[in-house]
Amino acid sequence: MSGTVKRVPSIWTTGSTDILNTGTWRSAIAVHEKRPAPCYGACPVDGEIPIWVQQVRNEEFNAAWLTLVENNPIPAAIGRTCHRPCEGACNRTEYDGAVSINALEQYVGDMAIREGWAFPAPAQESQKMVAVIGGGPAGLSCAYQLRRKGIQVTIFDANPELGGVLRYGVPEYRLPKKMVAAEIERITDLGVKVVAGRKLTGEDLGELEKNFSAIFVAFGAHDAKRLPLFTKSDSRVLDGIDFLRSIRLDAPLKIGRKIVVIGGGSVAMDVAGSALRLGQQAQILALEGRAVMPAPEDEIEDVIEEGALLHDGAMVKAVEDLSGSLLLHCINVELDQNVSPGVIRPIEIAGTEFTLEADTVVLAIGQDPELADWEDRIQVSKGMAVVDADYKTSRAGVFAAGDVANIERFVSTAVGDGKRAAYSIARYLGHQDAVEEGFADSVKEVSFKDINTFYFPTQKPVERGKVDVDIRKAGFAEIRLGLTDEQALDQARRCFSCGSCIECDNCAIFCPDMAILKDADSPLYYKVLDQYCKGCGCCLEECPRGAMGVKEETK
Amino acid sequence: MKTDSNRLLLSGNHAVSHAVRLVKPNVMPVYPITPQTPILELITEFHAAGEMTGEIMTMESEHSAMAAAITASLTGVRVFTATASQGLLLMHEMLHYAAGARAPIVMFNVNRTLGSPWGFWPDQTDSLAQRDTGWIQYYCENGQESHDTTLQAFRVAEQILLPAMVIHEAFYVSHSMEAVEIATQEQVDAYLPEFNPPHRLDPQIGESWGNTVSQVMFQNHRRDMGDAMERVLDVAKKADQELQDLVGRGYGIHEQYRCEGAEFIITTMGSMTGTARDAVDELRAEGVPVGLLKIKLFRPFPVADVREILSGIAKVMVLDRNFAPGTGGILYQELKAALYGLKGAPEIHGYLAGVGGTNISPVNIKDMVHSAIGEKPVAHSVWKG
Amino acid sequence: MGYEIQEEKVFNSGHAACPGCSEALALRFILNTLGKDAIAVVPPSCIAIISGPQPLSSMSIPVYQTTLEASAASAAGIKRALISKGNNHTNVVAIAGDGGTYDIGFQALSAAAERNEDIIYVCLDNEGYMNTGTQKSSATPSMAFTTSTPAGKLSPKKNVPEIMVAHNIPYMATATTGYPDDLVRKVKKAMEIKGGLRFINVLTPCLAGWGVPDSAGPKTSRLAVQSGIYPLYEVENGETYTLNYGPNGLSVADYVATQKRYRHLSPEDVELLQAEVNHDWEKLQKKFK
Repeated sequence: MSGTVKRVPSIWTTGSTDILNTGTWRSAIAVHEKRPAPCYGACPVDGEIPIWVQQVRNEEFNAAWLTLVENNPIPAAIGRTCHRPCEGACNRTEYDGAVSINALEQYVGDMAIREGWAFPAPAQESQKMVAVIGGGPAGLSCAYQLRRKGIQVTIFDANPELGGVLRYGVPEYRLPKKMVAAEIERITDLGVKVVAGRKLTGEDLGELEKNFSAIFVAFGAHDAKRLPLFTKSDSRVLDGIDFLRSIRLDAPLKIGRKIVVIGGGSVAMDVAGSALRLGQQAQILALEGRAVMPAPEDEIEDVIEEGALLHDGAMVKAVEDLSGSLLLHCINVELDQNVSPGVIRPIEIAGTEFTLEADTVVLAIGQDPELADWEDRIQVSKGMAVVDADYKTSRAGVFAAGDVANIERFVSTAVGDGKRAAYSIARYLGHQDAVEEGFADSVKEVSFKDINTFYFPTQKPVERGKVDVDIRKAGFAEIRLGLTDEQALDQARRCFSCGSCIECDNCAIFCPDMAILKDADSPLYYKVLDQYCKGCGCCLEECPRGAMGVKEETK
Repeated sequence: MKTDSNRLLLSGNHAVSHAVRLVKPNVMPVYPITPQTPILELITEFHAAGEMTGEIMTMESEHSAMAAAITASLTGVRVFTATASQGLLLMHEMLHYAAGARAPIVMFNVNRTLGSPWGFWPDQTDSLAQRDTGWIQYYCENGQESHDTTLQAFRVAEQILLPAMVIHEAFYVSHSMEAVEIATQEQVDAYLPEFNPPHRLDPQIGESWGNTVSQVMFQNHRRDMGDAMERVLDVAKKADQELQDLVGRGYGIHEQYRCEGAEFIITTMGSMTGTARDAVDELRAEGVPVGLLKIKLFRPFPVADVREILSGIAKVMVLDRNFAPGTGGILYQELKAALYGLKGAPEIHGYLAGVGGTNISPVNIKDMVHSAIGEKPVAHSVWKG
Repeated sequence: MGYEIQEEKVFNSGHAACPGCSEALALRFILNTLGKDAIAVVPPSCIAIISGPQPLSSMSIPVYQTTLEASAASAAGIKRALISKGNNHTNVVAIAGDGGTYDIGFQALSAAAERNEDIIYVCLDNEGYMNTGTQKSSATPSMAFTTSTPAGKLSPKKNVPEIMVAHNIPYMATATTGYPDDLVRKVKKAMEIKGGLRFINVLTPCLAGWGVPDSAGPKTSRLAVQSGIYPLYEVENGETYTLNYGPNGLSVADYVATQKRYRHLSPEDVELLQAEVNHDWEKLQKKFK
């Protein structure tokens, strides 16, 4: 028998297991990780869409706008004109329809105009000066980003007012002038000098280089492409961009009763829509089938609703002068799939010939930059200025972006190019910190399978309402109604916030080991307790939005 | 302190119920079984009449009764239950749990034959089969002793923190009416301190009981139980003495009857003792130098005392009203083991007498003594009666 | 934005549950909702292992580890002792597995329910004897593989929730870890309804026993609900039925596809299971107002 007699039994349990280090069990640990959403990956301006949409959801509208304008200073305009690759990429597409991101962008952009929100002044002024040639989307975006960094900017533009395609191309009914004016004014209010109504040419480059440390060439593409079938001098044949510009300048070019627009892009649709509003009949002849036409589907749908006839997958083969009108001999085609990207080769479908009669033919088959007087100063290839990944031309200090240097002719692409070019210019001017935050290559984009759909009840997307067709055809008033407050919040709530933590706490709640703590000091809101995490991955699985990753561990 | 006013004609079982009333347990999980049932019936009557408070739990089995008894005890309150026979066996698992949990439950067991076949007769095999569970065991010979021993059992169990079983036999004791001197409430209150263990299931304390342990922890825990059991011998003697000081009745943990100058000692437990006493008286009158050793506290077994008492005695005759097939009488085995290696150890005759409740009269015992005197003992139990 | 769950830290880290264990998760929600004024009874089970090796406990409340068949009786003993001391506030909860509830502990549970003992009884139901290495219990569903039913179980799961309802206890609820807010609400409700036995059956998928990945506990439990196999509902006083979450169009095939314990099933087997689930659901549905 033991010599020690204990009055009370020794084995009542008094300690806590929290002194045990169960973290040694695991081979991998979950980490909170901001991951790129597909909308972000698709966005031409690298917009932090999940972030600002979340801010909308939280009704932090000014914060949402500030997030938006980090990358895009003209959300009201882009919220109406973007070709919306974000929505095409949206993970919710597979579930119950993409989030109406573009409409939300317009909602925030319009609110900013209504509320008179201004950009914060640059923190520090620099003495460096940059000349921006062209005040369109690329030029405005670049000027804005440079001014934010304190760099002095002068925009030169051939037109009487800034805006480029936004002011002189896109019709009023898609993008009201007052919105464009307000957003441009907000940029110029940052202290941008404007020299309008002066068209600079290559000849002016030397002079500019004397006065400016860098030059940004972004005057767009205004040399309309022609088809050899049509004579240049024929007054019955117009260029689409000229026609649209004339309407914007309140001096519409004269057109006949029967209009045939040739082209399948936004310009073609805008021409048809404008012609209809001027009381004429419009037919559209597009080489591509409707599904692959460059114009967004909703723009095609608009003009068809308004009365345009679409002949898609067809081309004109011959033109017959009927003395007065023109008779276009057309044929249906299909596009050869066995060609390299960018090349279009139509194959005629025998027996599908048809004719169209036109009082006026409007060509909307694209434009080239007017680079004739630049070719001996900067390298030009395939009708465009050649630039490297940093938007540098072959000439030191000269940068180019937008339609002048990019085959992708979207306004939002131009805004993105302008932004990235501004960062490059800033670095060129010694601002080494002008680097955009991005994601490491190892961080994978969030895919639909990373989304835990249990947390997202199905809810259909809501698109902007449209004005009644009869009212639309009667004039140039805007056809799309912005989202109501309620609609906007509903849409914002639909966002999965792919890859961006919204502090839902699921990771912490579903941890059987209580190994995840809320941590105000952590940039990603939570702390994983290394000593307890067994590496089960429940946090990862229960994260509704793929805002966590796994770190393999070897011990 | 002794008064005549508390003298009642009671069955052995009811004598126990009165003791329980005086002890005022907080929780009493009960389940009926013949011949224990009158104990719980009178308790529930006392309770219904407002003579007792506390929680009576009418359980669905003895297993659950003991389960509830253990946790109630560990929650830091006084607990009583009673059972018999098959009921005790159904509790077997929980008896170990109770002792391991150091829960000072007091349970009364009425000895009854174990099936099968079925029977209702006095036989101590049920409780003796629980001898290794870690319970203190007291065997009583009549209602008075059962009453008084129940009081002692609470005192000892709660001081030592081991459960205690008090035992008497079916019908011979449980249902036999006799005059029993009931202790007064003042006496019992003076005798039994409040039970207020420092370690208990209490959210204010936060301690837990029963977690998985290592080999060494388990061994140490069993050793501690053994130490506690050892201390029972002294504590029980003292508890008996102090009760005697209060009520004038004492029993010791064993009793020697007319052992002065005895060369032959009869050893018994329980109701057989009274019969043996008569046989001893008659044998002494005949001039046979015979005495009687009654083992009252069977667990822990009073080894040292027994060795001292029986040293130098020529013959011992053990009467077992129980039977373990393969080894025989259990008291016989215990006694032999206790005396092993003792200088001048007696010869031991082990008789299976009264198994299954068969009647053993003083004449039977006298006959057994006479034959034992003339015989060399064999090494195993011998059936008698 | 997310679940609103208030927790009082009772369940501790460092416990010995397998990575991703649903039982540990359930314990977290249950204990942290019960708070510190509680005493728990735990029978042999994974829960007992999770409770911690001596001298450590994963639960910052007193826990008593009883025998496999005695949980309800043990809990009742504690409650009665507390009542006898005038303590009517401390919650006493038995937390047992399905073996300790549906099988060996059922007698004690039924009796405690009949006596209407003032305790909360939580069954962490992982549909088998998982601690001993996946053997069949009466909670194991039809056709499921266990090491004691290697060809699949031949009889359906015992319907203990409805049996408990038949005891006319003040509160019976089914819950699971994939719906933590629902589980927490039910524990709170059980705490509020004093004066009788409150029973909560919590489905806790066993990752190893069911053959699902470590991260799939909550997801699997939701599939059980969404496929109609395990509707979440509550019943007051044996008669007032409320459905919380029922089937939402997922099929039994969706449920069994993710679990290795069902991988031996043929399409015909799955149809039979579906018919069984449909039948049970139709029967249950009639009870909701």
